[in-house]
Amino acid sequence: MSLLAIHELSVDYALGGGSLRAVDSVSLEVERGESVGVVGESGCGKTTLGLAIPLLLPDNATIPQGSIQLNGEELVGLSEEAMRRHRWTDVAFIFQGAMNALNPVQRVDRQIREAIRAHEPTTTKDEADDRVLSLLDLVGIAPSRARSYPHEFSGGMRQRAMIAMSLACQPSLLIADEPTTALDVISQAQILALLASLQRRESLSLLMISHDLAAIKRVCGRLLVMYAGIVVESGPTRLLLGHGIRDAQAAHPYTQALIRSHPDLQGERQLAEGLTGHPPDLSRPMVGCRFADRCPKAEDRCRMIAPVPVTLAPGHLASCHLLEAT
Amino acid sequence: MSESPVLKVTDLVVHFETRRGFRQRTTVRAVDGVSFDISQGEILALVGESGCGKSTIAMSVMRLLEPTSGRIMVEGQDLAALRGRELRRARQRIQMIFQDPFGSLDGRQTVYESVAEPLVVHRLGREEGERRRRVLAALDLAHLRPPERLAANYPHELSGGQRQRVAIASAMVLEPALVIADEPVSMLDVSARAGILRLMMDLRDRTGVSYLFITHELAVAWMVADRLAVLYLGRVVEIGTSPEVVANPAHPYTRALLEVTGGDDELGEGAVLAGETPSASRVPEGCRFHPRCPLYAERGQPEVCRTQDPVLCGVGQAAQAEREHLVACHFPNTDDRGAP
Repeated sequence: MSLLAIHELSVDYALGGGSLRAVDSVSLEVERGESVGVVGESGCGKTTLGLAIPLLLPDNATIPQGSIQLNGEELVGLSEEAMRRHRWTDVAFIFQGAMNALNPVQRVDRQIREAIRAHEPTTTKDEADDRVLSLLDLVGIAPSRARSYPHEFSGGMRQRAMIAMSLACQPSLLIADEPTTALDVISQAQILALLASLQRRESLSLLMISHDLAAIKRVCGRLLVMYAGIVVESGPTRLLLGHGIRDAQAAHPYTQALIRSHPDLQGERQLAEGLTGHPPDLSRPMVGCRFADRCPKAEDRCRMIAPVPVTLAPGHLASCHLLEAT
Repeated sequence: MSESPVLKVTDLVVHFETRRGFRQRTTVRAVDGVSFDISQGEILALVGESGCGKSTIAMSVMRLLEPTSGRIMVEGQDLAALRGRELRRARQRIQMIFQDPFGSLDGRQTVYESVAEPLVVHRLGREEGERRRRVLAALDLAHLRPPERLAANYPHELSGGQRQRVAIASAMVLEPALVIADEPVSMLDVSARAGILRLMMDLRDRTGVSYLFITHELAVAWMVADRLAVLYLGRVVEIGTSPEVVANPAHPYTRALLEVTGGDDELGEGAVLAGETPSASRVPEGCRFHPRCPLYAERGQPEVCRTQDPVLCGVGQAAQAEREHLVACHFPNTDDRGAP
């Protein structure tokens, strides 16, 4: 049984009269100790997907269909009270800009201790203190800095502290949405290396959401590519992205365009064509392949019939008519 | 030299005085002795992390900040010496594009009004027909087509990429000699980035405009810039043509940046440069990079790194070339020379 099994999940947002399907029938699984990446551009539904798992969607969102199973238990439809028991202990999350979520007037060690004791009321203060120090040590913050206030930390250290806090109740699944976006390049690399090593050492399961293929490549074994609310391609990160543009085996034209858009220092010093146009309006009914309008290879059938996933290699699926066997 | 460079920055120093507590005063050395020049039609990238001084340099060139010392020459003229009409005229020659295409456009102005505004401010194209012609030409130049239709749009009706094109059009409408682009693509979706970068290069080819391109992404700088300068804590630590610097990085900081941008394979925790850039109010003695430098540790903490501030010197054979590859390091790397 997978740790996390999402089956045909959809999420709608009500918007002044109409509605918009941000996530449309997405299925994904995360095994124990596995790290899975979700990549896509703004508006593709990746953040909505991440929020849906711990049932933290905004008030105007509904889940019209699908299931989310964590450790075999169905989360969709759980009451807030029931879900609260799973958050932090079973599933924890770090959101975009999380480092700004620390309470500015409380020392960092105290904030982590409170988090532990709020979720595990039987833990004594001394036990909690010991755990705080070992958590901070785990993320590379020296015990001497534990009693600092958040403003005394740099962005990278605050993000480390947030990671420590998210691990406070030993969750089996960590969801990280753009965990490095606001950081400097060196700090980004440090945080990604930290996540990768935590994932390996602590056999943590990780669902990382990012627009950055390079970040996903550093951390995640498997990759899902989202476009306009659906998963267009998924497979082993190594296979899809390769070592660079030259040996990347991504098959979907959108994934290929994304890969080309990332400058590759090992590749040619030449700008990619880039994509023209915009993703489709999700509040309108969809006909055909959602990428067809921007796809350089689109044919007539692409504009009329929605493609279904095709298996290209074990674990490698892509939804594109051009990949179907003729 | 037959022609003076479009921009020549010599020994630029920008220090800020700040108070800590009641009595204590500290000096933030944001830019601490920076020199570079940009020729006509050239793209120079300033690459560095936050706090390295790259935006302060841009602000000084725009004369939005008064430098502590040093000289900034634009097309052979010292901006600091100009007053009144002459200063205004010189300022037309430098335009700026900002990071946030959502914040830099006025939401209540149409595209036409945004692009026409610089003309109004500089009292150019006073006749309505002339102004309209110039605005539409700038929109067309920025690939906002058809210009007549897009001119009537408001920013909220445009995508991020289109908004950045409007910002580029309003920079280009004055026909500047130099455009300062401060992180022009870092807020855009990856698929839109290439289009904007391509447009900027295309404009350079068609109008001969030069760019001072500010970015934290070494790979983007390498892609678009003819030359790049790597900044660390208010100093240029390495400068040279982009392919040369990326192929033969001589400074350990450049190498560290390259390692994390290279994107190949997972990095072990030990492989990433440790620690953080110190505050510009506490610049380390000697080489400012030495406390984090892997070479300093490897070489048994040589005294020279702690005591002497390295100056930019030529690297290898490039030292004789006209556009040199320069590095500020006591132990610059030259091992890779000739390697593929």
